[in-house]
Amino acid sequence: MQLELAMRWGGDADPGVAALIGRYRAVPGVHDEMIDHAGRVRPHWRPLLAGLAALGPRETTARFSGADRYLADSGVVYRVYGEGGDVDRPWPIAHLPTVLPHDDWTRLAEGVVQRARLFEAVIADLTGEARLVADGAVPAAIVAGSPEFLRPLAGIAPPGGRHLHVYAADVGRAPDGRWWVLADRTQAPSGLGYAIENRIALSRALPELFDRLGVERLGPFFQALRTGLGRTAEGEPARVALFTPGPWNETYFEHAFLARSLGFELVEGGDLVASETGVALRTIAGPEPIDVLLRRVDADFVDPLELNPGSRLGVPGLLQAVRAGRVTVANALGSGLVEAPALTGYLPGLARRLLGEDLNLPNVATWWCGEPAARAHVAAELDRLALVPAFGRSLPGILDSAGILGSRLSPAERDRFLAKLERRGVDFVGREPLRLSTAPVWENGRPVPRPYSIRIFVARTAEGWVAMPGGLARFSEREDVRFLSMQRGGRSGDVWVLGSAPATRSEARLLPEASIATIRRADGSLPARAADNLYWFGRYLERTETTLRALRRLDRDGDGVDETTPDLARRIARQLVVWGAVAAEPVPADLVGEALWGAGPGAVASLVGEVHRTAAIVRDRLSPDVWRLVVACRDRLRDPAPHRRRAPFAEIEATLATIAAIVGHADETMSRRDGWRFLDLGRRVERAIALCRDARRVAAGAETGDDADLALDPADGGPALRLRRYAGVSRRLFLDLLLTDEADPRAVAFQIARIREHLAALPTGAPTIRGIPAEDLVAAIAARHAETSPDRLAVGRIDATESDLLALSDAVARRWFTAVAPAADSADDAPIAVAAAAAGE
Amino acid sequence: MRYDIRHTTVYDWGADVPAADCRIRLEPIDRPRQRVLATRLTIDPSPDLVREAADFFGNRVLATSFRLPHRRLAIRATATVEVDPPPALDPDPTPPFETIRERATTARGLGPHDPVQFLFPSRSVELSPNVTRWTAESFPSGRTILAGALDLTRRIRRGFAYAPGTTDVATPLAVAFAERRGVCQDFAHVMIAGLRGLGLPAAYVGGYLRTVPPPGEKRLEGADAMHAWVEVWCGEPIGWLGFDPTNGIVAAEDHIVVAVGRDYADAAPISGVLVSAGAQTLSVAVDVIADAEVATPA
Repeated sequence: MQLELAMRWGGDADPGVAALIGRYRAVPGVHDEMIDHAGRVRPHWRPLLAGLAALGPRETTARFSGADRYLADSGVVYRVYGEGGDVDRPWPIAHLPTVLPHDDWTRLAEGVVQRARLFEAVIADLTGEARLVADGAVPAAIVAGSPEFLRPLAGIAPPGGRHLHVYAADVGRAPDGRWWVLADRTQAPSGLGYAIENRIALSRALPELFDRLGVERLGPFFQALRTGLGRTAEGEPARVALFTPGPWNETYFEHAFLARSLGFELVEGGDLVASETGVALRTIAGPEPIDVLLRRVDADFVDPLELNPGSRLGVPGLLQAVRAGRVTVANALGSGLVEAPALTGYLPGLARRLLGEDLNLPNVATWWCGEPAARAHVAAELDRLALVPAFGRSLPGILDSAGILGSRLSPAERDRFLAKLERRGVDFVGREPLRLSTAPVWENGRPVPRPYSIRIFVARTAEGWVAMPGGLARFSEREDVRFLSMQRGGRSGDVWVLGSAPATRSEARLLPEASIATIRRADGSLPARAADNLYWFGRYLERTETTLRALRRLDRDGDGVDETTPDLARRIARQLVVWGAVAAEPVPADLVGEALWGAGPGAVASLVGEVHRTAAIVRDRLSPDVWRLVVACRDRLRDPAPHRRRAPFAEIEATLATIAAIVGHADETMSRRDGWRFLDLGRRVERAIALCRDARRVAAGAETGDDADLALDPADGGPALRLRRYAGVSRRLFLDLLLTDEADPRAVAFQIARIREHLAALPTGAPTIRGIPAEDLVAAIAARHAETSPDRLAVGRIDATESDLLALSDAVARRWFTAVAPAADSADDAPIAVAAAAAGE
Repeated sequence: MRYDIRHTTVYDWGADVPAADCRIRLEPIDRPRQRVLATRLTIDPSPDLVREAADFFGNRVLATSFRLPHRRLAIRATATVEVDPPPALDPDPTPPFETIRERATTARGLGPHDPVQFLFPSRSVELSPNVTRWTAESFPSGRTILAGALDLTRRIRRGFAYAPGTTDVATPLAVAFAERRGVCQDFAHVMIAGLRGLGLPAAYVGGYLRTVPPPGEKRLEGADAMHAWVEVWCGEPIGWLGFDPTNGIVAAEDHIVVAVGRDYADAAPISGVLVSAGAQTLSVAVDVIADAEVATPA
């Protein structure tokens, strides 16, 4: 055994390394990144393995746990769509970086850059004059059959003539060690944000190794990406926004992360307006032009007017802006055209024709079955080929996007597929299955081999294409190397490209400090939709708190300051009905449980759901702590364990504490800018309305203290108790304080004063077309309360104030949130497509 | 034959719509057997922005934007159009459908009327193995494209119930196929899906039928609203021929073309985006009057 080991490791065997990888076995017949066919560690892996061996297995595992913790703490998640709702899953990392020698990397990067150049030329031709089609170099059906061939933009060149700005290729190694391209990402390559998070996590876990190996930094690439996008076609500084489908998208985390890191505004369709004159961001200070949209929305969904009419992610009129040359979309709409597997087989010829070069990186051999000769070949060789949809999307009822191995077809299935090939060969390609190489992942304290591929990113800059040194490694969880379909749930990993001159690189520190943090968010105006949702986030937080406080008073066993009379309990129950927390009929048997977990729109669970929904939309403006508390609060109420159901008042206390923590964290972490003002405005308006309603009941009620009781929460302590004492004595004095005490945070006048401050500080916003301006309304309220006439506390006066407050909320919405579906209270107001005149009826 | 067409569409939203964008495709187009002599569109309220353009398929589109609140939109389209009868096709001059399939797939043209544009699934036409299987019965090996398409047209007419109100423009063709009923655009979509399933190019045509039939003839279904039918590519030099599965006939002098596309979504007379809280009501009135006295010589 000793002898065998010594032979396997050669003369320089490190016993620590030998122990570390002693049980590592490459899969026969495939290339392994770490060890060669004779089982020897490849030289470029030795420093890393030696370093890990020196740390020892326990320390190494601890370090990797640290990486996991970093990712969890940073909120790195991906979203999984599934039954029982979508869930955010922690981002699984493979821990061991994949090490690439510098020369190998350079060749790989050159190959990917060459491909970017090729695709740029192909897209320009196919979406323009289509000479390649007329000359027979590309079959017309490969263009017309692609869902990414956007007819409304046929013949339209983007500003500056550039289609691709970011491109990614998925590459894998064949058994002979050569790199092959598995797939191309030309539409909106994802993974950059995850790659950088993996890098931060691993470089923090293994800082000494990261430095010693002289790993190429990612920071300069992101700088280049930002600079490349940050110029208009004319070379002017561009205003860039990252266009996301929104928080429900599986990679939303990445969109928010990239936008924050690169200093771009994160926008959804509802944030933008578009026309022939260009694209603008709707902000509270009016529309602000956008020059470049870094797009994460699939082309079909970007404009419901001219593309998918069912899309709610898009911007009506965006295509007009594109045709008018007023906005650069990166990547250009229609760039996805060349992702089609149908095109793959034509690429070597196209490279020679358009670039005068041979492809550096071969494709997996692919035959498009729309061509009679290729179809005949695929039919004859079906047993050793895979059948894959020609345009990358599944063929409903026939073949899913991953395709199927011919050898796995039963004779009957085989015949059916052959018939389909005859009828619609255009829909299929035949493909050589590639046996992917393996690389190690860390499992149970040691490396094990897993099939993997790497996504490599390149970006366009003024000086040409630049590759990100590294990439996003993705590992299959299955050991079967024959057929890689990268399902969700597989792990990803960092790729370490060894520096060409390690000694000169020691100055570079961790990525965020070194580069990302130097890029600052552009200090533009607050988008209207963000303002809208922050405002409602504030209102719902306050409404939740009000409801919880009322519920708490139903606790008969509580050690509260004060006892709840049966009469007060009845009043609270009535109030819960008014709020929509419980139904009026039938009277719920478990009033508190129903108001807490029920489905009523005013039930606490529903309100917290709205808190979560509005927070999700402005998540990038809230601190991670606030977001985590919101999620925790929602999750806890959504699915209460039986033991919690039995103790509703404990839940009420816990939720109140969480709400207070959310409010407190938000208040302490948000800069005192417009976003914070809208959040606080929402809270003040909501509280003022609730206080008015309390005051009205007291004003209209009997001369007892019970109504005042309902308006007061003894748990508020000082001021409330003081009020309560007065309430017993004089309703008038109580009302006076409740309505007019500017110093008491639970008095209407206090809210009005804060609202006035916010209105004065916010930008002017849209001119008021109809309705009374917010300032006038709030001035009217203030004047009403400043009066000294004896009836100023009359019911009618209080009613007037409440209705002014409701009008104020509308005025705020009209001025700052206009022309978009309100974020709350009218979910059905989302844009709808006109159902056009049905033919033939 | 010369026709005077009047087509009025009124949307009522019940509540103010603050802004809207509409694309209107209601003006007939010049085609090989069809000449448009006059068209006119009246829109109330008047749009704040109007831009006329041709879409990819050559249809006339009026892009309109309304920037002021309104709760009603009335669009009135009038047109005068001349239609020639199609050439007689007796005997059948078309090639076997297998030849059409091979030619369509390998054709080099990427133009708006080239067969390759009409070969693939589109927004309202998913390909369905069931529809394809059913359609294949009309296309035994070696049958000409004309004979097969005509047989399919008649099978849909016989096998499907014309049932206005049971489907709308959003009904998937799979439902209309499964229930064997619908209206003209459902039948057109089923026929298109079946033909494309066999690898044969098929286009959607939106247009009108003459309202009052010639003396002694039956009034055709779908004459009191917009109509829809199918064009099938029959290879050069014949090109595209129209088939009306709702009526089980070849589209001829009674069919006036407004717009052509891959499916309803491409040829929709009115489409758009607006924000509305209310329920929409829609009324449509169509008159297509044949001007017998100025009938063109056949």
